Amino acid sequence: MTLSAWLVLGAGLFCIGVYGILTRRNAIGLLASVEVMANAVNLLLVAFGRYHGTGDGQVFALFTTALTVTEAAVGLALVILLYRSRKGILVDSAAELRG
Amino acid sequence: MNPWLHAVLYSLVLVTVLMTCTAYATWLERKVAGRMQSRLGPTRVGFAGLLQPIADALKLLQKEDIVPLAADRALFNLAPPLTVFFALATAAVIPFSPGLLASDLDIGALYVLALSGLMVFPVWIGSWASNNKYALLGGMRAVAQGISYEIPLLLSVTIVILMADTMSLSGIVQVQADEGWFIARPFGLGLATFALFFVAALAEGNRIPFDTPEAESELVAGPTTEYTGMKFGLFYMAEYLHSIIVAGLGAALFLGGWDGPIAPGLHWMVLKTLGLWMVMLWARWTFLRFRTDQMMTLCWRYLVPASLGLLMAAAVWVHAVHGVS
Amino acid sequence: MEQLAFGLVAAVLLYSALRVVSEDNLVHTVLWLGVTLATTAAAYVLLHAPFLAAIQIILYTGGALTLMLFGVMLTQRVESVEVPNAAAGQGRAAIVVALLFGVIAAAVVKTPGLPSSPPVDVPVRALGRSFLTTHLLAFEVLSVLLLTAMVGAIVLARKADPAPAPTPKPAPKAHDAHGEAHP
Repeated sequence: MTLSAWLVLGAGLFCIGVYGILTRRNAIGLLASVEVMANAVNLLLVAFGRYHGTGDGQVFALFTTALTVTEAAVGLALVILLYRSRKGILVDSAAELRG
Repeated sequence: MNPWLHAVLYSLVLVTVLMTCTAYATWLERKVAGRMQSRLGPTRVGFAGLLQPIADALKLLQKEDIVPLAADRALFNLAPPLTVFFALATAAVIPFSPGLLASDLDIGALYVLALSGLMVFPVWIGSWASNNKYALLGGMRAVAQGISYEIPLLLSVTIVILMADTMSLSGIVQVQADEGWFIARPFGLGLATFALFFVAALAEGNRIPFDTPEAESELVAGPTTEYTGMKFGLFYMAEYLHSIIVAGLGAALFLGGWDGPIAPGLHWMVLKTLGLWMVMLWARWTFLRFRTDQMMTLCWRYLVPASLGLLMAAAVWVHAVHGVS
Repeated sequence: MEQLAFGLVAAVLLYSALRVVSEDNLVHTVLWLGVTLATTAAAYVLLHAPFLAAIQIILYTGGALTLMLFGVMLTQRVESVEVPNAAAGQGRAAIVVALLFGVIAAAVVKTPGLPSSPPVDVPVRALGRSFLTTHLLAFEVLSVLLLTAMVGAIVLARKADPAPAPTPKPAPKAHDAHGEAHP
């Protein structure tokens, strides 16, 4: 497999994630889209690392994996907080600061 | 021989053997449970009830297959085979004797943990798709329990990896054959780790006394409430398979796997697995079920700190014995 | 063989990701995300990174996905299997995303000198060593971050008022109030 095939796959995955971010109104749906994007980036890191011949790509991907899971945990805490104050988790409902 | 052909043939044999073992595990369990309660257990079908599992399977196959109207049909049907699939996939890396395993992965131990972490998903999917409140409660309990007890399980296996200096399961068994079984490691370190592993594995596999997701007295039958016939049978089968595989894993990780005098390795592995499985039975018919909050307290207040402490102790021990490599 | 495996992984990956962003049912969204994450693990295996694949399954599928399921169950009134997952502005978003993909793909294709065959594999042992030598600082910072996130998540998610009065212990006779007579 050539590196460019992996790169195009990663790009496709990332773009699908972006589409999710742009369209979703539900906080958990947004979070899922973010996970898809992070996953695409991780895939690219591992692919680059493999074709570069060092383990650094994998190490980096491990760090980002841990980071993304952390982000999911904190994100969900925020979602629960949102639910508690709005009785719903549509992100449009938290728009008091809009001028 | 062609490696692909070898893999396919080996998997076929393994799946057949494991399925047969599962069927007879139910027979053995009923026999042992009967004896523990001064009963006889199954006696009617065949000599000493030996054909009982076959009769049970036939009975389950004849039952009407009911899917609730309000259920999520696709997911409802997907869940039972998926549980069996995950349970079987775990067996691929368990070394039964030197050279007798489906795939000697470098990261065998991690692979098993990853798959056993996935085991809760089909259960949850089934419970959610049933559209039944008892099923959903059971499913949420299963997920909470699975994710919580995954941590002590992972840490206890990490201790083994630390002591063995390899993540390959056959490598771990080989180290034990050379240097002595891990359960006998000094200062009770090995024994404590084994106890931790065993409790966490029991809880992960939803075995009594940790079967709060099923809890017949509170939740009807937990995630399997709405399942009938062979679909229920598949859940049941997956639970037994999982318990057998966990016993095999415990034998390989702590009891030296196929290591033993005189008899060939496979005999020892089977004997140890069976022994550990019987201990599970013993626990099952002796202890009462924990409450859900007690389960969480046990895990987060006691097992997780204990496993972290043990991990540190093991690191110190390995450092003292082997030095910095 | 490798091409076939790549094609399969790529197809499943893209399809499941599309389902993640287009499903109407929130629970289905999360479950399709599980398929995406698990298939990414398969992609890591194809890239000869089995350790990362196992970690991906344990952390993402075992950890993040479970968290999201809990999130769904805690924030929705689950009355039936239909849990809505709202979306808006698909048309405009699709145009923007198509443009973005075009730009990235063009950049990939136009870049000269991308390697076409990979060099040697990296053993897990070397990976672990580089964690605790070259990348030690990042490793330690990550532990601090995990601790911070844990504390942060607990503080955010717990009830705002920890109720100064001690919660009354349920009296042992509470069951009788529900008409359950003890024999």
